[in-house]
Amino acid sequence: MIYRVALTIFLALTSAQALAHSEKESMTPADGAILDAVPETIGLRFNDGMRLTKVEMTHAETHTEALDLGTQSGFVKEFSLPLTPMGPGMYHIEWRGLGVDGHPMNGVFSFEVK
Amino acid sequence: MPDIWGQAAVATKFLLYLGVLTSAGLILCRQVFSEQLAGLDRFLRAWAVFFALLAATMSFLGFAVRGAVLMDDASGMTDLAILALLWETPPGDALLLRLLGLGALLTGVVLGGRWLWVALLGSFLAIWSFCEIGHVASEDRLWFQSVLFGHLIVAAFWIGVLLPLHKLSGSADTLRVAAVLGHRFGQVASVAVPLLLLAGVVMTWRLVGSLPALLGTAYGLTLLAKIAVVTLLLALAAINKTRLVPALQSGDPKAGPHLARSISLEWVCIGVILLATAVFTSILTVPS
Repeated sequence: MIYRVALTIFLALTSAQALAHSEKESMTPADGAILDAVPETIGLRFNDGMRLTKVEMTHAETHTEALDLGTQSGFVKEFSLPLTPMGPGMYHIEWRGLGVDGHPMNGVFSFEVK
Repeated sequence: MPDIWGQAAVATKFLLYLGVLTSAGLILCRQVFSEQLAGLDRFLRAWAVFFALLAATMSFLGFAVRGAVLMDDASGMTDLAILALLWETPPGDALLLRLLGLGALLTGVVLGGRWLWVALLGSFLAIWSFCEIGHVASEDRLWFQSVLFGHLIVAAFWIGVLLPLHKLSGSADTLRVAAVLGHRFGQVASVAVPLLLLAGVVMTWRLVGSLPALLGTAYGLTLLAKIAVVTLLLALAAINKTRLVPALQSGDPKAGPHLARSISLEWVCIGVILLATAVFTSILTVPS
């Protein structure tokens, strides 16, 4: 019994995809998109109010930098953040934020520039 | 597997649950079973102080760890802007309520006597703080928060009887008192525990919503793990009520050590239950 319980908890933990709670969201460019040019901005849209606390961009698995979150006030549903053009390659975006209900949230998405 | 901050969030939540529920449960049992536990007054109050201080420490640490989760860095724990932002949200409200409750609990326990009723009120406030945050609070329905409150009160009551019952059953001189306490707890539990289970079923139904979600999500699987251990705990409690406590009442000298061993196993079960709860309240998403 104890073995089964421990195994179940282990499976539940290892299958947890998010460190924190995540909600339905839509990102621009979409996850997996293939683009001809580097977009000037990335967009993040959430179902409920959010306050972004950290967004990092990693280009071609080599260069990582934090994106400028600008001046935020209150909890909003849409964000548009300027992106530093790094040329062709994979752009991996990782974001963290605080939901209006106090839940820490996070997520990742990627797109490729030809 | 959650990253280090996710693991830290689970660990602090686990110790917070242990601290609040045990300190509150000790005070609740001290007041409900005042006649049987009068001789353990100092013992109970000392442990209540220990667990309340553990809860207060974990309240602060858990709050700071949320800051680290938000920044994915230890600097978030002391980032005043981030902590101020958190303070404006339900975790801030819950922290304030919890600290007020634990403060009243500690004041009442230290002063003793009639002040224990203040400690009891503080216990209720500290427990209510869990109803102001998280998946249940997000439903924004008072009846649903009250179901969780009732669930936690009974859980605290159960946890709170374990230390004094273990202490009393460990000495030949106090086996008679242990028998009376075990019997009286069994009487109250025969009403309270079904309510605890009913509350658990209601919350599962509201939060999980469907059988596929229960069987097919990390949240549901962790909940099932918790239910499996609760079943084991219920089996131990049934053995205590139907065999060990009656044996104590009949004066069987072996019943005391057996009961003490059974209580130790109950502690293990409760530890796993609290850990599973900390996992699905910290890092998992509600299926519905």
